Amino acid sequence: MSEKTRKWLCRTIVLAILIFLPQVIKDRYFMHIVVTAGIFMILCMSWNLLAGYAGLLNLGHAAFYGIGAYSSALLAIKLGVSPWFGLFAGGLVAAFFGFLLGFPSLRLSGPYLAITTIGFAEILRLVAVNWVGLTRGSLGLSGIPLLSAIRLGDWSFKFYLEKDYYYVVLGAVLLTFFCIRRLTASEFGVSLQALRDDAPGAQSIGIKTTGYKLAVFTVSAFFAGFAGALFAHFARLVSPETMALHTTFDILTMTMIGGLGTIAGPILGAVTLTFFSEWLRYLEELIKLDIRLVVYGLMLILTILFMREGLAGVLGRLVERFRGSGAVWKGEDKA
Amino acid sequence: MDPLFFQQVLNGLIIGSLYSLVAIGLTMIFGVMKISNFAQGDYCMVGAYVALFITAWIPGWMGWVGSVLAAAAVVGILGIVTERLIFRPLLTRWTDIDIIMVSIGLFILLENLAQLLFGATPRMMPDPFGSSTVSMGPVSTSVLRIFCFAFSIVTIAVLQIFLNRSRMGVAIRATSQNRFAAQLMGIDINLVYLLTFALGTALAGIGGVLYGTLFAVYPLMGGMPTLKAFVVTILGGMGSIRGAIFGAFILGVAEALGGNYIAMEYKDAIGFCIIILVLLIRPTGLFGEKEGA
Repeated sequence: MSEKTRKWLCRTIVLAILIFLPQVIKDRYFMHIVVTAGIFMILCMSWNLLAGYAGLLNLGHAAFYGIGAYSSALLAIKLGVSPWFGLFAGGLVAAFFGFLLGFPSLRLSGPYLAITTIGFAEILRLVAVNWVGLTRGSLGLSGIPLLSAIRLGDWSFKFYLEKDYYYVVLGAVLLTFFCIRRLTASEFGVSLQALRDDAPGAQSIGIKTTGYKLAVFTVSAFFAGFAGALFAHFARLVSPETMALHTTFDILTMTMIGGLGTIAGPILGAVTLTFFSEWLRYLEELIKLDIRLVVYGLMLILTILFMREGLAGVLGRLVERFRGSGAVWKGEDKA
Repeated sequence: MDPLFFQQVLNGLIIGSLYSLVAIGLTMIFGVMKISNFAQGDYCMVGAYVALFITAWIPGWMGWVGSVLAAAAVVGILGIVTERLIFRPLLTRWTDIDIIMVSIGLFILLENLAQLLFGATPRMMPDPFGSSTVSMGPVSTSVLRIFCFAFSIVTIAVLQIFLNRSRMGVAIRATSQNRFAAQLMGIDINLVYLLTFALGTALAGIGGVLYGTLFAVYPLMGGMPTLKAFVVTILGGMGSIRGAIFGAFILGVAEALGGNYIAMEYKDAIGFCIIILVLLIRPTGLFGEKEGA
């Protein structure tokens, strides 16, 4: 069997398993966790594009998520726009804000960029809290419509159970994955990495810093907004807390543990931590102590100190040992 | 003139003095070690809890002064421990992004560890002045606030004398300007790092006692001081102590006036608006050096 057919076979098998998963597992709570993990995967992948590939530490990512969620929810509630259109509208509105945030970020890096982006998210959160007429303040928007049913002649597919949303999120994750994978493997992605590692060097060989930074902010914000809109129509509740700093910290922790600047990292991190945190919740019930975030903090510190490549790096090395090549998993992905 | 104006300026200066203590610690650590420590506010929180226990144990005056000293000592030691275990191994590896993220990890860890140990309920510290107030013309404030203000000013003055007059203080400033040249002059860089981190976190601890005295003590109280300290140091230019002092008072007064004349609910956004504007024009802050950003 040639390398190519084996690759396609693997992909088909994985896809088949993913498609048939809800037919096997009927537990609604489990499916709920899977959908949540999927939304976080999109968030982590988009954050990773900025922080991992471009080296731009955006600590206001939750704001894009929130903007997407609020935009789509408001469009559906106030104007009766179809949630399907809202998914993309949410992404586009977030992308516009990402483009705007790109401007002050052009000349900034490190702590300067970190604080500017936190400030951006905090300002938007305060707007969401205080513009009661539009957002209903800290109460949040509730009663957001579900995704509308798809009809093709006599056949229709309604969206009200977790397993229905599973397919939407699966599609969204795959779409995001392929877009971001294409981007990072393209000249654009390589230029971003050059900018991250050596900005003056990249400029000297003709890479246009300004355009690339604005573009990566816009693209990253689009996917975060898209994830936000998905979340809005799934959870049916959006509150200003969505935009709070701890959401960004969750995304950051997942991506770091999965592996910053790798393709597989954000996906691994989001799945592992979403399930791990559910397990911790169960453990908390048993021992009556809120240890979840203590463990998160500790894991983040230990990952950066001792396992900087994250789970993707560790797995990559294991695969390499067995097969002799693990390039797909590692940061220096040549694809 | 509006009598409220002077009242708000006074309130702003008092809050600004609190900001300045935390921010000076942050800016010193950044200047010397290039560490952006997002856990700075959690050192405040630890300091506040130390003070809470000491004042419950020794009432009145003695307790308050003792609690400040104890908070500075405990937080300074905590600072040294975290520097050795977490920040030092990263100084020669990876990038500033890693250091910011590891400090975020420390922030999450300390905050939630405190919640685990002390519970989430906010607690009040006793007022050694029995909540008496003073009036001066159009303005009035509590004796406690005046005392906190004076205490911060004295602490800053002592710190300035230490940095300008003592041998070690000069070594810290020299390292902040150019660590390689400082090393060439025979300065023990490791000792300077240790001392700077201890001093910077101890200042946050003292700031935390004042925060706790004026507001309340709770595990999540560290977030605000961290953000304010960053706004202040970026406003003044990271690494500049003078910038941090000016930045703190500017922010304090701007927030008080903005809260009064623009919109109370957007008070915490004012600082962020200011720095986004300042950074658009001067990416290194008001007092920062050119190479900073």
